[in-house]
Amino acid sequence: MRVVIAEDAAVMREGLVRLLEDRGHEVTAAVADGDALLRAVAERHPDVAVVDIRMPPTHTDEGLRAALVLRREVPDVGVLVFSQYIETRYATRLLAERSDGVGYLLKDRVADVSEFVDALARVAAGGTALDPEVVRQLLGASRRVAALDATLTPRESEVLALMAEGRSNTAIASALFIGEGAVEKHVANIFAKLGLPLSESDNRRVLAVLRYLEA
Amino acid sequence: MATSREARTTARDATTRGGVIAFGRSAALAPFSSRAQRELLFSLIGVIVSVVGLATIGLVVFPGTAVSAMRGGAILALSFLVLVGSGAARRLGAAGRRLASRLIAEQVPEPPPLRLGRRRSDRVRTRLSDPNGWRALAYLVLKLPLGQLELYAASYWVGFIGLTFPFWWRLFRNHPPGVELSPVGFITPFGWIRAGTFAGAILVFGVSAAMVLAAPWVTRAVVSVDRWLIRVLLGPGKLAIRIRALEETRARAVEDSAATLRRIERDLHDGTQSQLATLAMKLGQAKEKLEHRSELPYDPTGALELVDDAHRQAKETLVELRDIARGIHPPVLDLGLDTALATLVARSAVAATLRFDVPTRPTQAIETIGYFSAAELLANVTKHSHASNAIVEATTNERHLLVRVTDDGIGGARLGKGSGLRGLEDRVRAVDGRLSIVSPPGGPTVVTVDLPLRG
Repeated sequence: MRVVIAEDAAVMREGLVRLLEDRGHEVTAAVADGDALLRAVAERHPDVAVVDIRMPPTHTDEGLRAALVLRREVPDVGVLVFSQYIETRYATRLLAERSDGVGYLLKDRVADVSEFVDALARVAAGGTALDPEVVRQLLGASRRVAALDATLTPRESEVLALMAEGRSNTAIASALFIGEGAVEKHVANIFAKLGLPLSESDNRRVLAVLRYLEA
Repeated sequence: MATSREARTTARDATTRGGVIAFGRSAALAPFSSRAQRELLFSLIGVIVSVVGLATIGLVVFPGTAVSAMRGGAILALSFLVLVGSGAARRLGAAGRRLASRLIAEQVPEPPPLRLGRRRSDRVRTRLSDPNGWRALAYLVLKLPLGQLELYAASYWVGFIGLTFPFWWRLFRNHPPGVELSPVGFITPFGWIRAGTFAGAILVFGVSAAMVLAAPWVTRAVVSVDRWLIRVLLGPGKLAIRIRALEETRARAVEDSAATLRRIERDLHDGTQSQLATLAMKLGQAKEKLEHRSELPYDPTGALELVDDAHRQAKETLVELRDIARGIHPPVLDLGLDTALATLVARSAVAATLRFDVPTRPTQAIETIGYFSAAELLANVTKHSHASNAIVEATTNERHLLVRVTDDGIGGARLGKGSGLRGLEDRVRAVDGRLSIVSPPGGPTVVTVDLPLRG
């Protein structure tokens, strides 16, 4: 995949470039602020952009704002926002309209290199990658949490959380050490219990789950 | 020799003569200056206030006094209560403040506003217990005799009329010989002059000239008494000024500590957290290169390189973390200010010496502020002064700790907006300390931080 990186901490930026190149991906630009990111994406048109939220000049949320611009103006470029802390409101803004080609991960996740690269590849391919922490916070803040606890089995809750992270049935199956058929059955049960229409695509079902939690 | 002394004398005479002329000019022009006229107007208004006030007392209080002194006193006390309780005293005081600011450029800050309740009885009680209302009343009472003094000062200005005597005298006094005319009276601050002849008119002219020349100064003297009363009685009062200063410094201290926390968070976020995340990433990469089950090729050389990188980075992170921790609270301060300052001086980039003479140990908070002041000042010396030597002194003076940093650099340091010195001053003022800077262009620069030993 072709990647643009926007990250102001030099050690992190260089580390990411090396990591991705090591795995045979092409880093077409590595920049340190939001404006440079927008320019680099316009010039290089990568598959995916990795965007740090806090960047100069204000060190608040310029990365997020740049990411929202990218989502609106170049929808086919995946955006993986990553940050040192999780702010649920940022997640809701990123996912406001659609959940395809978007990710929001804690920076800590780069420690598990393969999982991080998988998430990046998923976003580049138009999928979703939400940090387990985002899902946990969304679940915690949801007014329906009591209803969920009452209706879902513990296993179904686990499947729901992984589904909300944007994982495919195959990934859920290998994460929980169960067969894919079992996952499919759990997913069907969850949607039936929550009264949601079962959708084929992974993205649609992420959005469906998130909408359900936010309602 | 003689010539040169002569030349000097002439020169001195010339300066003296020049000085006399300048003085004469300014004395002659003083009565026409805008300041004198404004002060006269202010005095005249004071006269009106005084006359109205005295007349009111005459009408309201005096009839009571005629019956018995006690009843007169009771009426007077009652009127004072009404003036303060209704808020009229404060409103009149405010009017006086506005007048003084507009006419005689005496800018006195307003006393803090009262928090009045909804119920009438509450409002009256609040007003009666408000010292500023009573101080305004005291001003009004003192204004009564002061207004009479202002009348006296205004009377000097009548000299302008007296100056006209010689000019019309012959027009109206050209009566045939033998006719007796009554003399024309003219009032001066010293009493009446009766002019019956032209010589008398000249006398009136002379006295009037003196009056006019004196008028601005007499007015200024009386008005300055009024200014003093306005400052003391119509301003916010010492306690209120102190409260305002405390509120200001407290707000700054709160802001400062919030800014400090923000800075620490930023240092941790941009530095340590990024470093550690990258470190974890490198170790994760190395681990995958050594794992046989991963899809990546087994690569011990690449892994070793990454571990080496990670190892170096871990050491760098430790150094950074230590610096951040020291910025929050230098552990060496626990050993005492002298040790802390000695360490600071030893680490300084500009050659620095320490003079330490603090017999009584200050409180911990004061030691910390003293230490950070010295650190900030020494950093400024390194950054801006181009100095080659610096001296850090810590001494005591009765109940104060003085931290002074002197350098032989280019000078020109000042309390600019956004400068480090401004932030330092805020921190120092938060504990009732003071910061003073002596830094002429070309140096040397001496910055002194004066902190109370028990902050």
